[in-house]
Amino acid sequence: MVSQIGSIAISLAGGLIFSSFIFLGLFKKFKNQTYLQVAERSILATSYCIFLAFFCLLNELLISNFNLQYVAQYTSYETPVFYKVTALWAGQAGSLLFWSFITALFAVTYIFTTLKKLKALKFHSYIILSFIFSFFILLSNFIANPFEPVSSDIVVQNGNGLNPLLQNFFMAIHPPILYVGFTGSAIIFIMALAASISRDISFEWVQSIRRWSLFVWTFLSAGIILGGYWAYNELGWGGYWAWDPVENSSLMPWLTLTAFIHSSMIQEKRGMLKKWNFLLATSTYILVILGTFITRSGVISSVHSFTAENLGPMFFTFLAILLLYTIFWFFKRKSYLDTPDKIDSFTSREGGFLYNNLILILMCFTIMWGTLFPILSEAWDGNKIYVGASYFNQLNIPIGLVLLFLMGIGPLLSWNYTSQSVLFNRFKLPLSISFLSGLGYIIFSSLFQLYVFVAIMGVSFTLSSILGEFYKSFKKQKNSSNFLHSIVKMFLSNRHKNGGYIVHIGIVLLFIGFIGRAFEVEKEFSLSPGEQIYFSNYVFKLNSIKSEARDNHYAFLSEIDVVDSSTNQLLTNLKPEKRIYFYWNSDPEKRQPHSELDIYSTIQKDIYSIFSGYDAQKNIGYFKIMINPLVNWVWIGGVLMVIGSLFAFWPSRRNS
Amino acid sequence: MNKVTTSTLIIFTLIAGWVFYLTNIKKDNSLTVRYYSISELAKESNDIQKIKVGGYIKPNSINISEEDQLKVSFFVYQNNDSVKVTYYGIRPDLFKDDAEVVVSGSYTNNLISATELQTKCASRYEGDLKNIEKI
Repeated sequence: MVSQIGSIAISLAGGLIFSSFIFLGLFKKFKNQTYLQVAERSILATSYCIFLAFFCLLNELLISNFNLQYVAQYTSYETPVFYKVTALWAGQAGSLLFWSFITALFAVTYIFTTLKKLKALKFHSYIILSFIFSFFILLSNFIANPFEPVSSDIVVQNGNGLNPLLQNFFMAIHPPILYVGFTGSAIIFIMALAASISRDISFEWVQSIRRWSLFVWTFLSAGIILGGYWAYNELGWGGYWAWDPVENSSLMPWLTLTAFIHSSMIQEKRGMLKKWNFLLATSTYILVILGTFITRSGVISSVHSFTAENLGPMFFTFLAILLLYTIFWFFKRKSYLDTPDKIDSFTSREGGFLYNNLILILMCFTIMWGTLFPILSEAWDGNKIYVGASYFNQLNIPIGLVLLFLMGIGPLLSWNYTSQSVLFNRFKLPLSISFLSGLGYIIFSSLFQLYVFVAIMGVSFTLSSILGEFYKSFKKQKNSSNFLHSIVKMFLSNRHKNGGYIVHIGIVLLFIGFIGRAFEVEKEFSLSPGEQIYFSNYVFKLNSIKSEARDNHYAFLSEIDVVDSSTNQLLTNLKPEKRIYFYWNSDPEKRQPHSELDIYSTIQKDIYSIFSGYDAQKNIGYFKIMINPLVNWVWIGGVLMVIGSLFAFWPSRRNS
Repeated sequence: MNKVTTSTLIIFTLIAGWVFYLTNIKKDNSLTVRYYSISELAKESNDIQKIKVGGYIKPNSINISEEDQLKVSFFVYQNNDSVKVTYYGIRPDLFKDDAEVVVSGSYTNNLISATELQTKCASRYEGDLKNIEKI
């Protein structure tokens, strides 16, 4: 019954969005406000239908209605409730409905908040919004319907259950967070287009689109970091980023959005760069759709792409229409977007932002080129060329290092122009700290690595520059007697700026984590219980391998003592496991082995252990150990990035 | 154009040129690998320094060495063609008959010596109904 309601709800949504097009057309012809209002209500009603369908699917998952194909594929009676909920986005059909659901949430918010203030944008916003909605509703109705029943000749006793790799808290929550970022960028896309088409770029508009961007950016960043965190803790290859097409396609819109957040500040302050900002704001959503196309069409072989249903051509068409529409209006409104002012000085805040933009776009371009290169080269001469991680590293490490320095340079520049003497005064302290730490690296390190050297200088330069800024604004608050009070006051004095600085410190910490990658070491070996092995200053002693049948899997449990060989003290006890899911299944095909890692994590380094195989006859375990320095700084930096942008986003009392 | 715009354009062009150079001209370098299909490779008699191949593990072809469990050989197939692969190291969890794999390494005497072995990641687990218990 409930599933029928859900099914009807998504059909109804289709009809409603169609009627919104009709009323928008009528409004265009007769200029009667009532038609616009009806169109608005149609869009709202569409959103409510999508909410309804979403909750129907949720209900079916919770009550395990295996008459639905989707429910049977991704859940079983044994699936814990939490993962029954997260099964909403575990598969193609569900994740598309989930995508519509978030779009609908944003649409309602956009209509009731932003468009209440910026009334002139209504008409064009509704056109684009309706178009985006109709695409996803079309998919949910005809291509990937989550309410599709199982074929009538079979009765499903129990569902498949969710893949054990996906039964991880961070895996479960990172897609929805990323989706919020992805779909939220649609609002930025709509706002940029609607304002340009209706020639109504106002100061309120800039402020509003900046708030949306910060919000979307927060979720994109959090989603990307959480994805890395999951990969690191669950997948067992010891890293958090592999330059896989799927990862790249989430990073590309992040880069353009980051660029937009910076360059729109110039528009806010000086009314410049409208054209450039238009391109950044629109390309973010276009890159999101490009990424979705890459992920779901199977055109690029990625280790994590969806198996293709008929979605490739659909997404390609959608992408092409969005792109052509954007290009069309860009040229049509070129003169409107033109601004007479130009940035004249390198040594100005605007100049700094411009270079930041350039660097971010370059990164985005190199990543896009590397990601799409296999398709391009195949189309060119039939050779499928795979672009490895070394390509991305070789290009992006130097570019990233320039960005690291720029983050420290930016705050030291004034708007318009900075004179040489001022420049010297502001730079002398951070530069000396940077040189000293570089010198320290040369003296104390046994092996000189250029990138590490530059990165250390960059980290210390940028960190001291930002902390110096904090100190300056702290001194301005000296009239209050209490130290803590002045710190709080200092932070609250300019949320936008301080939030931005917190984000920058977070990114500097990320770079500290990246430096650690230069020092990673790993070893694969086999041990029998009682044996030990020496590796990278540690002694690993295998105490025992036990086995145990658990609720939903069978586990081999190893226990390894880690002794620090310089102090001869027991450091920790690692317990990586080898698990066999579905072990009761008579068909060995359906059993699924899974390595449960164990990580000893400190602020300096992680000792990462994998129990990769067990030879029961000889009683030998096969292990892989990795020493990954400074990984924790990546997570700390990520958290700080999110905190910082929330801090900047949160409305201050004065505004509301 | 003022000097800021000009210098920006110059830098951008230089780096764009560098990117094209890396991917296109130096085809035989450490950055890119040619991707072969199994059928292409089965016809290839010359040795190839660096390749990447995708396919499925031929059922019952996995042969794990008695002395050293890390040593394995297997066949990768696609349609009617197959190629033998040897690999030393830890195998991914999903490594089993009929699993979809991507193998990189060198190709000599019709044999792939793999340095890297990946199974299709399960981040999107398109479970199909064949696994479901039916009556």
